[in-house]
Amino acid sequence: MPKDHDKDVYPEPPSRTPVEDRQSSLPNPALILSKLFYYSVDLPVTTFRVCLACLSSGKKSHYYHQKFRRVPELTQCQEGDYVCYYEAEMQWRRDYKVDQEIVKVIQERLRACQQREGPSYSQNCYKELQQFEQVSKAFQSRYGDLGAYASARKCLMKQKERMMAEQQQA
Amino acid sequence: MVGMSLLRTAAAFTARLNPLKRTCQSSNLLSRTVVRSEQVVVRYGSHGKRMFIIKPTDFYDRRFLHLLKYYILLAGIPVAALVTFVNIFIGESELAEIPEGYEPEHWEYYKHPITRWIARTFYDSPVKDYEKMMALIQMEAEKAEMRQLQLEVRRHMREKGDGPWFQIQTLDKNLIDHSPKSSPDN
Repeated sequence: MPKDHDKDVYPEPPSRTPVEDRQSSLPNPALILSKLFYYSVDLPVTTFRVCLACLSSGKKSHYYHQKFRRVPELTQCQEGDYVCYYEAEMQWRRDYKVDQEIVKVIQERLRACQQREGPSYSQNCYKELQQFEQVSKAFQSRYGDLGAYASARKCLMKQKERMMAEQQQA
Repeated sequence: MVGMSLLRTAAAFTARLNPLKRTCQSSNLLSRTVVRSEQVVVRYGSHGKRMFIIKPTDFYDRRFLHLLKYYILLAGIPVAALVTFVNIFIGESELAEIPEGYEPEHWEYYKHPITRWIARTFYDSPVKDYEKMMALIQMEAEKAEMRQLQLEVRRHMREKGDGPWFQIQTLDKNLIDHSPKSSPDN
């Protein structure tokens, strides 16, 4: 079964539903509907998935996350050492992908926080907002506007331009 | 008058014996009496009135759709069955930490069993691809360096002239005939 989201990362705020104090003897429609949904949809689907899990063979194979060694960057390569250029380029591409995923995770956290808090999100998820702003600014300054044919050299040139602009301002 | 009555009877006879309208073939053919059977309009509840509907042919369209369905399902059903059985009986892999001192094979970095099989059977490992690319780059870099060196050496040899290149072979000195020089002003 696919796992639910991590309850520690996206905690739900404490519910403030009042204690029920029924005065009427009519049946509770919410209870009826929830029981109906459970018996018609939830139970069959769960038993089906459990049966499929039983049918599958016992031995489970594993898959791992690949770990890459760090290699010298583009600034540490000799001029004309094309092999070093290639390795630095590949490392930069992997780091670019990792940074994209980091931005996606921060976005997801902000989205979950906004969904939880509702109308008062700008006050309650201040931390997530600040984090998202910081991360997106950093991403934009480093990788923004590089385009589809981005490469390590172009990123390095962008960094050079940034440093020159900073120096001129100072 | 007699002929007319004969003709009339003959006409009635042929009308009764008409092969196109043979309603009864019983023994009362040659008798003069005509057996009239009751003819009632039969109303079936199912057929309705049979119509000959005139419309453009849908033979080609139906044939095309039939063949389309046939050829799609010819490969589609085995593939769908295979993927279903793989998902049910083999199942996807679980994420685990890399154990100490163990180097996973390159197919063990994928989740779905079919992807793992493809990576194991057909593809080279990404490490091998990386090394192949680096080897190609190294060879091309060496070729470029050789070409640059050759141009440099050419330049030097042309300038200084004391190298083995750009030497123009002259004739052997022993082949020169010096005999005309013994009698000058001839």
